[in-house]
This record gives sequence, C-alpha cells and structure tokens, in this order.
Amino acid sequence: MELIQNLGLGFATAFSVANLAYCLIGVFLGTAIGVLPGLGPVATIAMLLPVTFGLSPETALIMLAGIFYGAQYGGSTTAILVNLPGESSSVVTAIDGYQMARQGHAGKALATAAIGSFIAGTVATVVIALIAPALAEVALAFGPREYFSLMVLGLVASVVLASGSLLHAVGMIVLGLLLGLIGTDVNSGVMRYTFGRDEMADGISFVVVAMGMFGIGEILSNLESEASRSILARKVEGLMPTRADLRRIMAPVARGTGIGSLLGILPGGGAMLASFAAYALEKKVSRTPERFGHGAIEGVAGPESANNAAAQTSFIPMLTLGIPSNPTMALMIGAMIMQGIQPGPGVISDQPALFWGLIVSMWIGNVMLLVLNLPLIGLWVRMIGIPYHFLYPCIIFFCVIGVFSINNATFDIWLMALFGVAGYILRKLDCEPAPLLLGFVLGPMLEEHLRRAMLISKGDPTGFLTSPISATLLALAVALLISILLPAIRSKREEAFQEED
Amino acid sequence: MNKFITAAAGFAVAFGALAGPVMAQDYPAKPVTLIVPFPPGGASDTIGRVTTQAMQEGFGQSIVVENKPGANGAIGAASVARSAPDGYTLIAASIGTFGINPALRSDLEYDPRKDLDMLTIAVRTPNALVTRPGLGVKTVEELVAKLKAEPDTLTFASSGTGSSDHLTAELFWQTSQTSGIHVPYKGGGPAQTDLMGGHADVSFQNLGNIANYVREGKMEMLAITADQRSPDFPDVPTMKELGFDGLEVYSWQAFAAPKGTPPEIRAKLAEGLTAALKSPAVTEQFGKMGFAVVANDPTEADAFVAAEIDRWSKVVKDGDIKPEQ
Repeated sequence: MELIQNLGLGFATAFSVANLAYCLIGVFLGTAIGVLPGLGPVATIAMLLPVTFGLSPETALIMLAGIFYGAQYGGSTTAILVNLPGESSSVVTAIDGYQMARQGHAGKALATAAIGSFIAGTVATVVIALIAPALAEVALAFGPREYFSLMVLGLVASVVLASGSLLHAVGMIVLGLLLGLIGTDVNSGVMRYTFGRDEMADGISFVVVAMGMFGIGEILSNLESEASRSILARKVEGLMPTRADLRRIMAPVARGTGIGSLLGILPGGGAMLASFAAYALEKKVSRTPERFGHGAIEGVAGPESANNAAAQTSFIPMLTLGIPSNPTMALMIGAMIMQGIQPGPGVISDQPALFWGLIVSMWIGNVMLLVLNLPLIGLWVRMIGIPYHFLYPCIIFFCVIGVFSINNATFDIWLMALFGVAGYILRKLDCEPAPLLLGFVLGPMLEEHLRRAMLISKGDPTGFLTSPISATLLALAVALLISILLPAIRSKREEAFQEED
Repeated sequence: MNKFITAAAGFAVAFGALAGPVMAQDYPAKPVTLIVPFPPGGASDTIGRVTTQAMQEGFGQSIVVENKPGANGAIGAASVARSAPDGYTLIAASIGTFGINPALRSDLEYDPRKDLDMLTIAVRTPNALVTRPGLGVKTVEELVAKLKAEPDTLTFASSGTGSSDHLTAELFWQTSQTSGIHVPYKGGGPAQTDLMGGHADVSFQNLGNIANYVREGKMEMLAITADQRSPDFPDVPTMKELGFDGLEVYSWQAFAAPKGTPPEIRAKLAEGLTAALKSPAVTEQFGKMGFAVVANDPTEADAFVAAEIDRWSKVVKDGDIKPEQ
C-alpha cells in the first residue's frame, strides 16, 4: 500500500507541466547527442549543470536523467546504421544490428532496439521502486576481490563475441588488454607506454579507439567496395517487426532486462558489462548460435534491453547511498549538492517527492522516447539510402568533432586516424574489433582490482576463493571456459578426422 | 618608396609606443579564455565556471571556459604557461596541478613559480581522517598505537598516487613515525565506497565529500586537518590540537595567469575574482560543496603556492614516492 502511495506522489510530481516539459527536453537532447557519435551524456550534462541552478531540484534531476537514458536510445541508432558505437554499451549492438542494416532490415533492428529498451526501462523502473533501498547494500559487498572475479568472468565471456575464428578473437582481446595498459599506473604513478607524452598520461580514450576501429576502419574498407554496398542499401524493407519477430524477441528482452537490472547496480562499467553479458547469454541459449554476428535479431534485442535496464538501475546506488556508479551519476550527485540536497540514505525519506518523482519521470521519459523514436525510424533508415560518397565525409566529420570534444586535443584526432588504419588492416586479416574493445575496457579494471586486492590481502591470493561472491563468479568463469573450449576441441578433432578420411 | 618607408616606420613607432600602456588601459578588449585542465563537472571546473560567471558583470567582457584535461592538469597548465601574458588566457586548477605535480615530477613542462603569476587562492577544504565502521579505533591516539603495535597492516585508501590525500597519509606516517599500506584508487569516490564497504581501513578524504557518510555512521571521523574545529562537527578535534604540528592540510583551488602579465591587468583580474568569490551567493554555493572561500591577494597566493611546493617536495623525498621514469 505504501508503494502505491509513494508512486502516487511520484506521479503527482512528474506530471506537473514544468516537469513534463523538462523531461521532454532532456530525452530529446539525449537522443540527439546519442545519435551524434562521440558527443556523450557526460559532457552534455556538465555543460547544462549551471543552467539547472535556477530550476527546482526535481525538475533539474528529471531533465538531467532524461539526457542520460535518452542518450542510450540514440546511441544504438548510430551503432546499427553506421556501425559506430559512441558509447561502450552499444559496442555489441553494432555487431548484429549493423549486419541487419546491411541486409536491409535496418528498420526492424531500430524498432527492436526501441521496443526492447522501452520494456526494459519500464521493468527497471518498477525494480527501482520496489527494492532500491535493500538492493543498494549489494553494491557495498563488492570489494576489489569480487570485482576482479567479475572482470575475469567478463573476459572469458567476451570470447563468445567472436563470430569467426576463436584464435583471432583471443588475439584481439589480448591486443585490447595491452592497449588498456597505456597510461599512468594507478599503484606507482609511473607512466607506461606513453612515449613521454602527457597526452597519453591518462591512457587512450575509449571513444578514440572505438571511432578509429569501427568508424574510420569501416569507412576505409567500405570505400573499397562501394558498388556492392549501394546495392545492399537499395533494398531496405520491413520497417516494423512482424508478429513473428516480436515473439522471437520477447525472451531475449526479458533475459536482457534481468541481467541489466542486476549489473546496473554495480559501480563501474555496469551498462557495458550488462549489454555484452546479455549478448553472451543469447548466443549460449540460442539453438542457432552461428547466426550471431550475421544479423541475429536476438543479438540486438538482448543487449539493448540490458543496457537500458542497467542505465536505469545505476540510479539505485546513487539515490540510496550517494555512490556514483559511472561518471554521469557523479555529475548528478554534483547537481544534487548544488541544489542543497546531500546525497545518501536520507534522500528517500527527506525528499520523497524528488525520489519518487524522478522514478516516475523515468518511465514517462521512456514512453516519450518510444513515441519520439518509432516515427523517426523511417527517416533514419533513409539515411542508409544516401550514396556512400556523400555519407562518409559526414561520418568522418562527426567522428572528428566527437573525438576532439572529449579533451579539446588535436592529438586525439591523429590517434583516431592511426586506429582507423589499424582497424582496416585487422579487418583485412579477419580480426573483429569488438573483442578488442572489450579487452581494452576490461583490462585496466582487471589489473586495478587484482593489484588492489593483493595489496589489501598483503599478497595472499586465497581471498579470491574464500569470498563467496568471488568464488561463485570464478566458478562460473571456469564452467564457461570449459563449455567454450570443449566444442572447439571437439570440432577441431572432427575436422582432423574428416581430413584423414 | 621613401614615403612608404617613412609611413611604415612612423606606424611602427606609433604602434610600438602605444602597445604597452594601451593594452593595460583597454583591457579587457575581447573575451578572456579560462583554461580548466580537468574534465567538465569536477571541482576545478565548477569553481572556475561559477566564479567567472559572477565576475563577468562588472568585467565588461565574457569569460569562456575551455576544458583541457589530462595528466592531473599538467597539459592545460603547460599550455597556459606558454601563452602570451596579456590577461586573455587564465587557468583555474587544483593543489594537484599547482602544488603537487612540481613536487612529484621532474619532467614537468611548467613550473608554477617560474611560469605562472598566481591571481588568488579561491577556496579550500580540510581533509578528514576517517576509518571504516567497526575498525575499533576511536581516537587518533588509538590509531597511532595500533599502527605501532602492528606496523604495515592497516590499509590507507587514497584517491590516487600523488593525490593530496595520499600525501597527507604519507605526512601522517612521517610525523607519527608509523606506517601503513597505501591503496590508491582512481578518484575519491571509489576509495570512499571501499571504506564504507569495509574493504579498506583508513583514509584522509576532503571533509565536504564525506561529511554526510560520517553523519549516517557509514564512516568514523577521528580528526580533521584544519586550523580550527569545523562548526558542523564541534566534537571532532583538529590534528594540531592533538600535537601533530605540520599536519594542517587543505585541498585548494586557485586562479593564475601566465608569468609576466602586466601588473595593472593582474590586479584587475585579482580584484574581480576575489570580489566574485566573496559575494554571498558564490560563498554560499561553494559552502554547500564543502569549500571555504579564501580569496587572498596575488602576493599572498604566490607565497602560498611556493610554500606548498616546498612542503610536498619534502614529503615526496622523505617518503621516497617519486615515480621512477
């Protein structure tokens, strides 16, 4: 009963004219910056922070939150249409989404992403309302040991991202891990592999690698075969998913929502880990895993639901403990402090209108996004029909602006060009960029947590096995590793036998 | 031909004679760029934006904030150090950029003492000595006793190697002749989270950042590094009261211009900034973030920064924490 009362207060707050208007502004802005590659929600929210001083706390947070989850929606559009993941959470969406677009199912992929995101957003909103206070304690139970084991599980699972050779995938993950080592070592403060350049002291930005490998690399290899590409683009059809499609995506959406809601609570890479854990799961449970990487609709539905659910539930530690689970949430905490609200466990009881209003506004925002985005799909899809020699200068233009806007540094543009050439060469060698990006993101976290765990345990590694959470995660990783390796070994042996015949 | 040369020479003389005084009188004749060498949304960014916004009205020109993050502010600071000292390029940065980088790195491309003219120390906040709940230590005395009884067992979380809170811990060990295990994190947030989760034992964190966790019993506060007690926590002693003399440590933010900025321009900027900082609205806003406004004059600011660099150089040297290149 209390829940209904609380939600009632939330609806009353969220449905005020000002709050509805700012929610719409937020999601609209969010979608726009999500579609433009490289321009992320962090920079946008930071720039808009001073504007929010004049608003009431509820209105300010509703708008800023709208930008954040609106960007998750918009980001998948670029990932699907031009194979450009602007955010780490849309890397896996690009894998099958872009293949669907190439086969003329761009509309279906976009609609799947929008519908999946909407369902996930709705469920995650209910999850927050129901169990936010209790769930927040879970995040505190995760220390360096538990995070390390989670990263190990993540790295093992990232092998399933490969649609081709297992060896190539492992190679790309390792290359990603090595690239992730560039920058200042957290423990000693020593700069590693920076060639003495301060520009590399903080490591290479994710956006630089993603834009270079996916964006520029893709353009280079497309230019080589422009003729074949225009033929593909001409047969765009089937904007909306059919009833059969909808039936096929329901289970992946449900699974993705579950994974996303759970992983979103954990600080650090929640949405990204969630999206690709969902992809790994879909590929594992599918009866036809070979379709993944070649335009499987489940490969879009699962991860897109997962990253949107995670984006919503990442508000839980922020609202209940004042702990930011990602840079955007850190900015939201800053916005609350400037409004005179101390983030922490007191927020729910001291500011019920803010807490419940924000939650209800997230659901309203999701409805708005669906209404905004579904009619626009036709427009987005027509973008693919544009002859490539008109389209690619625009993509490069936006890539350059996006990369420059992160640090205002021209050095990053040169670095992106370098990764573009590397991406082209690797593509020629049948090496996919997605596993590399995952290694690149997970590697530094893996190292950081491992070394921190060892520092805290004074060099005693048994802690990884005596912590129940850590032990469970490691056991899962071993089981997954065996299940990946066994079929690979078996099929190798079968191949060998066939050759003997 | 001759005419042309005469005209050109005349122009050059006139221009040369005018350039100096006119520049200072007409200042500001165009928008001023404020470099913030950290990403948008951080403390330096907020201090820079809010202060210059308030200063703009009487200043007559707009002040545009440009973020140039990287290497704890070193990239942005080096670019300002290389800029023309004409008052059109300024910098807002932290203790890390102005006070600790020069102590920590020998390959730095700027030296605040030689390449920058400080304008004012804008704000400061003391560090608080906090422990995880349930560590079983109620006072600094008990903490020192525990560290002496079991050397190198307690873990000290910091927001990074060479951060102000790391060096405060180092200074604490040196002053109390104890030692602990330094566990660096990427920023204060994750360090505080692990302290609350009981994964790390002790930390020196900015008072403003942890005040609420202490009120809610998620951390225990033993002392603060200010010169007097905080009105919010009248029962918590200062390190000075407890006999730790050199442990008055603040995390601060400051404004600076390139070295050689004309004195009139420097004075005008310093006046504008300090007036903005002292205005009730700005002071209140920074108060909410846990910062107290300092707003001293350029001479005091120069002396303060030089003293900070000397102090941290000694801590880095005694603690042997210079990263090997």
